[in-house]
Amino acid sequence: MGAVRIICVGNRHHSGDDLGARVHDLLAATTLPTGVELIDGGLKGLDLLRFVEGGGRAVFVDAIDGFGADGLPMVLDGGRVAALAGGAWGHGAGLPWLFNLAPKVCDGPLAEMLVVGAQPPADGGTVAAVAARALAEAVRP
Amino acid sequence: MATRRILDIPLNRAEGDLEVRLEVDDGVVVDAWSSGTMFRGFERLLVGRGALDGLVVTPRICGICSTTHLMTAAKALDAVAGVEVPDNAIRLRNLALMVEHVQSDVRQSVLMFMVDFANPAYWDHPLFAEAGRRYAPLAGSSALDVVRETKRIIEIIAAIGGQWPHSSFMVPGGVTYAPQAAELLQCRHILEVYRDWYERRVLGCSIERWRQVDSLAALDRWLEEAPAHRDGEVGFLLRFGRHSGLDRLGRGTGNFLSYGSLDLPRQTTARGRDGRLVPAGFVLDGKAEDFDPAWIGEHVASSWSANYEGGRHPFEGETVPYASGDEGRKYSWAKAARYRGAPAETGPLAERVIGGDPLFADLIDKQGPNLLARQLARLTRPTTLLPTMAVWLAELIASGGGDFYVDPGPLENGTGAGLIQATRGALGHWVTIKGGKIERYQIITPSVWNGSPRDSGGVRGPWEEALVGTPVGDPDNPVAVGHVIRSFDPCLVCTVHSVHRGRTVGRARLEC
Repeated sequence: MGAVRIICVGNRHHSGDDLGARVHDLLAATTLPTGVELIDGGLKGLDLLRFVEGGGRAVFVDAIDGFGADGLPMVLDGGRVAALAGGAWGHGAGLPWLFNLAPKVCDGPLAEMLVVGAQPPADGGTVAAVAARALAEAVRP
Repeated sequence: MATRRILDIPLNRAEGDLEVRLEVDDGVVVDAWSSGTMFRGFERLLVGRGALDGLVVTPRICGICSTTHLMTAAKALDAVAGVEVPDNAIRLRNLALMVEHVQSDVRQSVLMFMVDFANPAYWDHPLFAEAGRRYAPLAGSSALDVVRETKRIIEIIAAIGGQWPHSSFMVPGGVTYAPQAAELLQCRHILEVYRDWYERRVLGCSIERWRQVDSLAALDRWLEEAPAHRDGEVGFLLRFGRHSGLDRLGRGTGNFLSYGSLDLPRQTTARGRDGRLVPAGFVLDGKAEDFDPAWIGEHVASSWSANYEGGRHPFEGETVPYASGDEGRKYSWAKAARYRGAPAETGPLAERVIGGDPLFADLIDKQGPNLLARQLARLTRPTTLLPTMAVWLAELIASGGGDFYVDPGPLENGTGAGLIQATRGALGHWVTIKGGKIERYQIITPSVWNGSPRDSGGVRGPWEEALVGTPVGDPDNPVAVGHVIRSFDPCLVCTVHSVHRGRTVGRARLEC
């Protein structure tokens, strides 16, 4: 089993895109289970590819728009996210491009990839719920 | 009869929020207005915060240029403190910045610019099928190759900064961490692997051979010299671009600006000009002159900012959003950056022109500025950086570490500017510290230069000007408009990138 990582992405200076950053800050203030790494992925996009190499599990945390009700944490599996990729690379490409490209360009075994998030904007309760769900996904067998 | 229509083209490959309005007459752009559609306000966010906070906040302005903003913020605080940064700190800072350049230059070229060669508008181009095989999104051989081979070089920043992403290792007085010899040797290995790939797949020749290309005629000879030259990304860019007439489009203002960048350590074998690897300068109407930062000004006549007359130097500038009134005249959140009152293009082509690169001097002389030269300058910029990166890594290893920080003392009061060349061009931070707090912070990004709206005199910004004369064969697919804009590698501001259904794209509104 490779590394288990919670990779929080988004723009902490943009209220519609700051869910990942807020979850990161919440988790960073806690004691994480042994073996779980927490990463502030920010706006790094394709530069996060190295974090999904080597197997293990990569739980991305990000705003998820258009998939469910406000305030409730959601989980999207990697295949579903990858299928959202389309068009050329650009800033709006976001995680779908990363998920789509990972199996094509990464070296060695690939981490199990998924996204945990919620519809923006998120209040404090939603942030806490997403953080808890991300942790649960990270440590599940 | 004049008709108006609004349509969407994928300007999403401009980093951030960009909308371009075009006036088209008889299938040719006759006027253009560039609009940054999102208020940034980072400058306001920083006011009242601690003196060092720019080191943490500004790298988060952009996901691609985070190291660039860190460097610029650190240099501004170096100036406030009046501290002389030690040689090894200069080398480490430079190396991190250069990593960002050499990665972005190739990624932008292939994933954002050359992907348009697979646009259906080129269905009858003799290289169209090959372009599709190379650049098709998510599948093209070159697209995948570039992502695969450029993902590891950022480990150099991680080794230097002790952390990645969001390294905050540059501080006033130097850097916070001195990499160990083993880490530097690993950096050298990563750099060598990257250079080997860049030479094989991007150039199709050694960097030494490429640097012998010193004129348009020499470029033609190089292209015909070997199949590897034609098949590399540079060769394909030239072959496809020339056949499409891209060397006749996107002229722009003809003015060029570089703040200068990559300070030379006091003891180094690397060679530059006036203490920098990338020289500073300004070219107006073909005449080069020395760069003086006092001539920088920002106009707001066409910007959604509170009005003032003419231009203001960033030490006097303010960021006060003002979105009402002057409808029709104000059309962008970006201000209009000007040098001696004139618009100026900045970026890799400007660096090569100001640096006296004979190839680009000859291209400009014989063809005039154009979008193909602009993109060629970007794709080949790593040839000017990779060798010096190796030099500075070797010097770091030989030095045995140390000499990476000087205590700048307390930052209580003062002003300072950090001016560098970011990947996309001239980037400046101007900061005023009072009582240990930030009293004023102004940032002018490269895209504020290149994508500026009209100034107080009604003069277009560089890519507004470059768009004039661009053909719009199919208003539903104005591919050449995209070429012109993307040749500047536009970056307005990083914004929402959540997972979402559908795609968000910028708009090019054509008024025909």
